[in-house]
Parts: sequence; structure tokens; C-alpha cells
Amino acid sequence: MSNVTVTRATLAAATVVLLTFGFGVTNADERGQASMVDYTKMSPDELAEYLIFETNSFKLDQPVQEGGVAGDRLKQDDIQKLCTPLRGNPVDSDTAAKVIKIARESIKYPEGGIKLGDWKIGRELAWSGFGYRVGHKSDDHGEASNGPGGNCYNCHQLATDRTGGTLGPALTGYGKTRGSSEAMLKYAYEVIYNPHAYFACTNMPRIGASGLLTTEQISHIMAYLFDPESPVNK
Amino acid sequence: MLHRTPYALALILVMGGAYAVDDYAGMAPEEILQALIDETGSNYLNQSPQNQQMMPDNPAYWVAEEGEELFKTPRGPEKVSLKGCDFGKGPGVVEGAYVEMPRYFEDTGKVMDLESRLVHCMTTLQGFPADDVAVTKRHGSDSDMMKLQTYIAMKSNGMKWNPPMGHPMEKAMRDAGEVMFYRRSGPMDFSCQTCHGKTGQRIRASVLPNINEPEEWTKAISWPAERAGQQNVRSTQHRLRGCLWQMRHPGIVAGSDASIALISFWTDAARGQPAILPDLKR
Repeated sequence: MSNVTVTRATLAAATVVLLTFGFGVTNADERGQASMVDYTKMSPDELAEYLIFETNSFKLDQPVQEGGVAGDRLKQDDIQKLCTPLRGNPVDSDTAAKVIKIARESIKYPEGGIKLGDWKIGRELAWSGFGYRVGHKSDDHGEASNGPGGNCYNCHQLATDRTGGTLGPALTGYGKTRGSSEAMLKYAYEVIYNPHAYFACTNMPRIGASGLLTTEQISHIMAYLFDPESPVNK
Repeated sequence: MLHRTPYALALILVMGGAYAVDDYAGMAPEEILQALIDETGSNYLNQSPQNQQMMPDNPAYWVAEEGEELFKTPRGPEKVSLKGCDFGKGPGVVEGAYVEMPRYFEDTGKVMDLESRLVHCMTTLQGFPADDVAVTKRHGSDSDMMKLQTYIAMKSNGMKWNPPMGHPMEKAMRDAGEVMFYRRSGPMDFSCQTCHGKTGQRIRASVLPNINEPEEWTKAISWPAERAGQQNVRSTQHRLRGCLWQMRHPGIVAGSDASIALISFWTDAARGQPAILPDLKR
């Protein structure tokens, strides 16, 4: 056969093989026998879960700062599962009701009540974007004297001496405009602890409920928001 | 003569006004960027006049020059150049190849991006062992990988993103990437959409691109690009790695199917808009 005929024959044979077995990747089971996983036969949701957990695409076994391994982070919890289908669109009342209920039940208050800490520490925590990052470079929380940061400035404008983001509302003059009544402090604490209690499916992380900051760290950030001496209120 | 004046005037008024450019061939990357800014007034696109001014002197051009040399040089144990490498438009064809990736490749049975295709050709054609530094070093302007990627990508400058979707695998990967894009997870409940779903939002001082605005998204995905603050040309996989790191998601393996699915989706989202290659970013 000529080169062209050989090539065409090979191509035909390959096509037959591929059409027979489908398109995907080969997995070996315990007996070492290959089985084909056909990506094209899965729904997009199924394939996404498969790619995340079954294809060694992510470094799932890397230890993470909160304990456990990185793969744990990719498992969705109840609020994440409820909010994902929205794709950022406004939440419907059914979903909101479910999310708010879960969020309210998650809230734990500090022992001794809600108190304001040191706004100077809060200022550093609000600015710091350090903490919980893994992958090619893991954040060592032992290196941060005040612990991992709150990342607040990523999304919020706070004091005017630093540039904050606009993913969330501006918090400039927060305490000055609202005062620091017991009710106000409770509200702010709850928003920080689990913002879904008020804003179902918000983009804001669950600073307390997800264990990102301790109640002590939250008290410093609250001082940064409420203390009349804080740059936020100057 | 007098009766022709209104027509001339109308013509001048039409030409002088802002109108969408249809064909970006022959335009330099900064000119393409300017055309998109003129068309949209996007705060994301015009957030750094300083970076735009530097584009004619983009260090990425030097990196691309070295990449062209590497491409044409016989290398590896097999001592062949990459002219035998098929990026989807035939062996050695780099013109317009990058904007048609990721795509399905018959010979591997996989959807592949430029980086994984280069790894494939360097190991199978040129015979580099998989653990050879030429193959494994993916980051840094001094790496073979970045030189080659920058060169090949530059050959798609001004061309419209057009990743094929005709093969069932291409569609499957793209659709899975879409699910992953919107999937909220991790200790901060982030999905890609958290940052990239609305126009004009800022993270600190940086304006974020909106995936739903193709004119913004085309710049967002125009990698390789010089990262001015990092003084290195960075790849698409590097950008993805950086996003996931800040999202507090686990590290992703470059060239893995999950990475290709995401890149597939995000390239499809820029379909029809001109690639800006090489780009220059903060």
C-alpha cells in the first residue's frame, strides 16, 4: 500500500476504535484492567465533579492550615450548594429562607459578650491578605504575629488612607454614622460571623462560621469599624 | 459642486465617530487595546495608561524572539525542531493556531491547551524526558516553555478567539469548565464568578474583568503577558494558578484536565474578540 493508503487505513481503524469505546481517558481498576471513562457521556455537573476529585488535577492531599487536606476544601457544604445555582444572580425567597436559617443557627457569640478590641490591630488585620493560601506556596500562620488577616480591604473601602475594593459596600465612617449601641454591635458581629444571616448567598466569606478569624481577631476589626479614634471614623 | 458637500460632511461625521473595528489584522497589541477602549469605555481596559504606554517596549518581544529561535532549532535527543509539531492547523503552522486552542487532538485523544501540546511535542517528537528541565520549568521569562509559548501566541495577535467546539470532547470540557467557574467552594466560598461576574468592580486598586463582557474578557485571557510587577512573562496556566491560590482553593496541576476545562470555558467566553498578544499587565 502507498503511504497515503496506510495513513487512511490507520485513521479509519483509529476512528472505529474511538467510536466503539467513546472519548475519554483510560482508568485502570484494581485488577489493572483498563476501563474507559467517557467524558462525553457525563453531564456537565457530573464531569466537573469527576475532574475535580478523580483526575489528579488538584493537589488534593496537601495539608491545609485549618487541619485536614486541600481536597476537603473543594467539597461543597449546604450554603455553597444552595447558592451555586444562582451564578451571582439575585437570590429567590425560597433559597434565601433556607440559607438565612442555616446561617442564623451557626452564629456563636464570644464568651463574655461582644466587646471592641484594639483598632490598631484591627487596622492591620483588615489590610492583611495573608492566610490560608496553599498550592505552590502555603501561608505559614506562625509567621503572622496577629494571625491570618481578614482580607477586608480586598472588597471594602474602609479608612481613606488606604485603597479598598468595590466588590462590597464602602464602610468608611461606619461607626460614626451608626453609633455603637448594643444592637448595632450585635448586628455587625453577626454580619462578620456569618453574613448569610442577613444577605443570603452573599459573596462575603463567613469570617467566623468558616473559622477564618478568631472572636478575638473579630473584636479588633470591630474596633477598627466602631472606635471613634479609628481612621475609619476620622 | 455645492450639492456634494452634505455627502462629504456626512462621510466625515461617520468616519470621525467611534465605530467598532471589524478586522484587527496588522494592528499592534496596544492599538487593539485602544480600539476596544474606544468602543466600550471600559474601566477595566483603560485602568493603566502607563502599562499601555509601555506596550511598544514590551519585554515579551525579546522573550518571543528567543522562542522563535528555540522553535526552529533541532533539539532534544531526537534532534528535531518543533516544525513537526501540530498545534491544530497542521505541523509547524503557528499562524492563528493559539486562538484555536484549547482543542481536541486525535493523536492524544485529549483536549489540550498550548502548554500541554508543547509538552507533548517536546517529549514525543524531540524526545525530551518528561522530567527534563526544558519540559518541567513552566514559569519565568528565562524558561524554554515561556519563550516558546510567547512566540507561538504572538502569531495569533489581533485574531479572533475561536476555539473549536465541533468535537464532543471539546464541548464536554467547555461545559464542565463552566460548571467549575460558577461553583462556590473553599473556606471563603469563592467561585470565579465572585470576582469576574460584574463590570467595573475592583479588588483593592485593580479593576476586574467581567466574563460577560467579551471586549473585557479578551484582554483578561490574553496570555502570555508581561507582568510588570513580577518582571516576567506569565502564561495562562500561571494566571489560573494565581487565581486559585488567592481563592484559597487547592493548587492545580498545570495541563490537568480540570485546568483545561476551565481554560476551555474562559476562551470560549472571549469568542469573536481580538487577542492582544503579547499583553502587558500590572
